[in-house]
Amino acid sequence: MSADRFGLGWRPRLAAGILANLDRIDIVEVIADDYFRAPRHERRALQTLAAQTPVTLHGVSLGLASAVPVETRRLDDMARLCSEVAPEFWSEHLAFVRGGGIEIGHLAAPPRTEATIEGALANLARAKQIVGIAPQVENVATLIDPPGSDRDEASWLAAIVRNSESRLLLDLHNLHANAVNFNFAAKGFLARIPVERIATIHLAGGKWIGRNGAQRLLDDHLHDVPDPVYELLEEVAARAPQPLTVILERDGNFPSIESLLVQLDRARQAVAGGRARTPHLHRHEVAA
Amino acid sequence: MNPFDLPGPEFLLFFIGLSALALIALVVTRKVAESSAAPKLDLSDPYLIACLRGAEPETLRVAAVSLIDRGLLVATGTQLQASEKASAEAVRRPIEKELLRKFKRAGEASSIFDDSRLSATCKPYEQTLKNAGLLPSEAIAGARWTRLLIACGVLGGVAIIKILIALERGRTNVWFLIILTIVAIVVAVKISFPRLTESGKAMIADLQNLYSGLKDRALSLRPGGATIEPMMLAAVFGVAALEGADFAFTRTLFPRAQAADSWSSSSTASCGSSSCSGSSCGSSCGGGCGGGCGGCGG
Repeated sequence: MSADRFGLGWRPRLAAGILANLDRIDIVEVIADDYFRAPRHERRALQTLAAQTPVTLHGVSLGLASAVPVETRRLDDMARLCSEVAPEFWSEHLAFVRGGGIEIGHLAAPPRTEATIEGALANLARAKQIVGIAPQVENVATLIDPPGSDRDEASWLAAIVRNSESRLLLDLHNLHANAVNFNFAAKGFLARIPVERIATIHLAGGKWIGRNGAQRLLDDHLHDVPDPVYELLEEVAARAPQPLTVILERDGNFPSIESLLVQLDRARQAVAGGRARTPHLHRHEVAA
Repeated sequence: MNPFDLPGPEFLLFFIGLSALALIALVVTRKVAESSAAPKLDLSDPYLIACLRGAEPETLRVAAVSLIDRGLLVATGTQLQASEKASAEAVRRPIEKELLRKFKRAGEASSIFDDSRLSATCKPYEQTLKNAGLLPSEAIAGARWTRLLIACGVLGGVAIIKILIALERGRTNVWFLIILTIVAIVVAVKISFPRLTESGKAMIADLQNLYSGLKDRALSLRPGGATIEPMMLAAVFGVAALEGADFAFTRTLFPRAQAADSWSSSSTASCGSSSCSGSSCGSSCGGGCGGGCGGCGG
């Protein structure tokens, strides 16, 4: 029996569908920031949700990948929520979200330099110290190659994951979008990061924007998961010996719950296909 | 100072204070004793949730509406009848099988509330909720009685001692104290036996919070049994929450549910806000609520 798990991002719009299909959904990912300032009854409702199904908390506003330390109050908020909800784990983006007191309202890729690696490592150490658990860290999509970078994304990401206690939340649509936007091979990227440190996978969809000749794939979470992302998922499953948690993210333009569950089933097939390609790596699953 | 030596009016004030304390203690100890972490429930079963929120009548209403939604019962005015395609094999839950049996012949929808066989199909739901600590089990009911008897014993004992002392001293103006004692005991009985435990009340509030997104879309829900959403809305918020014109038949079939649930809806409105109280609008996009975030990147 596989220990891989497959789940959905919790959105109020999907609540009925998720709660009615918990036999097909192994885990639910909740946006932590929605609950930092929520009244007590909403936080208690989240605890009730966590009693029904495993829950993870996903942050979007810490801004870990910055030379500027994350504000303590933000980490305190996450610590308090983790204490109340007891999630299986929590995660946050390796992104830059504010500077000079200005919130940029976007998960921006920081310059890929030694300084941002050191900043991220310092922030991750503080996050673990205050929250008590190291966050899983997620790669972000970007429409521009971050100016000032002196290395590529794979080596930047690998340096942070290898030198921290954090495991990797690999967003495969972000990887796919960056690969097509900046013309690199996504599978080659996988060969250069520590796949054994991948704990969670995000799946999502996006759309093409821009005019001919300057097109970019935008990660918008408003579309179905495209085929290349399933292929990458199979590739990760083939390379990674450890169990994976796969989360499908959808933020709007919601299809039926059945459509989302079909995408989740397809993710299951992709992981099973990858596992089958490298059985020598996954003997623990057979034993289990 | 011995309170039993207080003159009549002062003792009455003392007794009112003592009664208030006893009633508060009853409520607080019940809430503490009956509060626990949320249990795991089968949230895919709308009848279980309806039973929690509105007991047997609401379970039967939601089951009837569910069968109508799936085309297995046909509503004509205030009457129900099984459709031609309906058969006991078409459904899996006992409550649904029993409803189809009952309405092989057309009958008044309100007759479901007087049917002992239908009532029996609701018992397993009640038992599940009792086992989960959301409805009072025998043990919880016993504890409620114990607390009530202690409170009544204290109040009644104090009143009797004072009356005996007053009579011994030749005073017969004890009627105010007797009336106060009776009132306090009646109030104590009233507040000691709510239908739900504290955990049950919390579970309903939490479910209404989790399903708030569904309630916001009530008008857009369509019948036809394609999704479970209309039934979950009815289960969590009441049949009256099916507001769309497509569900107008529910108002004809179950007018009393409309009146009852209109109170329920308004009383829980404050719990029904979206969980989007933060900056991200329920999105994993990076805080881009205000006018386009240019994609998620996350």
